[in-house]
Amino acid sequence: MTIHDDVQEVLLTEDQIQGRVAELGVELAHDYADRQPVLVSVLKGSIIFLADLIRATELPLAVDLMELSSYGAAMESSGQVRILKDLSGSIEGRDVIVVEDIIDTGLTLNYLLRYLHERSPASIRICCLLDKPARRLTDIDIDYRGFTIPDRFVVGYGLDFDERYRNLSYIGVLRPSVYGGPEPRT
Amino acid sequence: MAAGLTNATGPRFAHASEAELARILDFYQVAWRYEPDVFPISWNASGAVVECFAPDFYLPEIDLYLELTTLKQSLVRKKNRKLRWMRLLYPETRVKLLYARDFRALMLKYGRLDFLHEVLGGNGPSASSRSVTSPRPSKPAA
Repeated sequence: MTIHDDVQEVLLTEDQIQGRVAELGVELAHDYADRQPVLVSVLKGSIIFLADLIRATELPLAVDLMELSSYGAAMESSGQVRILKDLSGSIEGRDVIVVEDIIDTGLTLNYLLRYLHERSPASIRICCLLDKPARRLTDIDIDYRGFTIPDRFVVGYGLDFDERYRNLSYIGVLRPSVYGGPEPRT
Repeated sequence: MAAGLTNATGPRFAHASEAELARILDFYQVAWRYEPDVFPISWNASGAVVECFAPDFYLPEIDLYLELTTLKQSLVRKKNRKLRWMRLLYPETRVKLLYARDFRALMLKYGRLDFLHEVLGGNGPSASSRSVTSPRPSKPAA
């Protein structure tokens, strides 16, 4: 039994992902020519996308990481999102690119953008691998988008369920039986 | 019916799922109001309003109404019909319907499966909102 057995369907293959990441890298290199952006990413889901994206561009960029508490995991705490890991350096006057694995409701990103704007960057743009607009609860303009995906529960390439499946090299739809949901009719 | 906004007790939610959504919005510091507006959608021959639609939430920062539908299919059909009229009569007003599957996906995303089974296993208990407050002042709905 491997983690692949819990995947019902491959939504995006490794080749598709790598091809699109390479294109995004070229787009960033073009748009940020002669600049030195800071790529800010949120742990943990974005790490694999970030790692591939920065190697797909030859910009003289910097990288910083943040970690935010998640709603479910924080049910017993303050009841409001907390920063578990803050930026390591200043972004004042810098061109910031927020690198996200997936934008779903947009609630986390909405909070993050507010936080980053208060630190007076020169600009902020958003680069996400996956855009899942079906349940969006915020207005967010995505500048660089890898793929728009349907309303499915996806794992892999950094995305987890209960901390598993991040190490899949592709994006897969999780078998509903894994999380107690109904199996699709055949 | 317009419910209370930010105060010591908060609004009384009609369903536990609504209280849970309010807690999520609070967590991410998104301002909300509970059932702040009522939209007439049907009138009789003498012009009296006979049917209204009151979306569950209003998010003033993005000018969006949210309606949560996690109950029986017959109620979903009724809400779908109301929403169609709403969109026809008030085309400038943005309303988003969150179905049971959307709420289920949210709970899955946040690892709240126990709560999900508690709520969707039956109709779900009515929830007190004592722990739920809107974090920031909200402007009145337009």
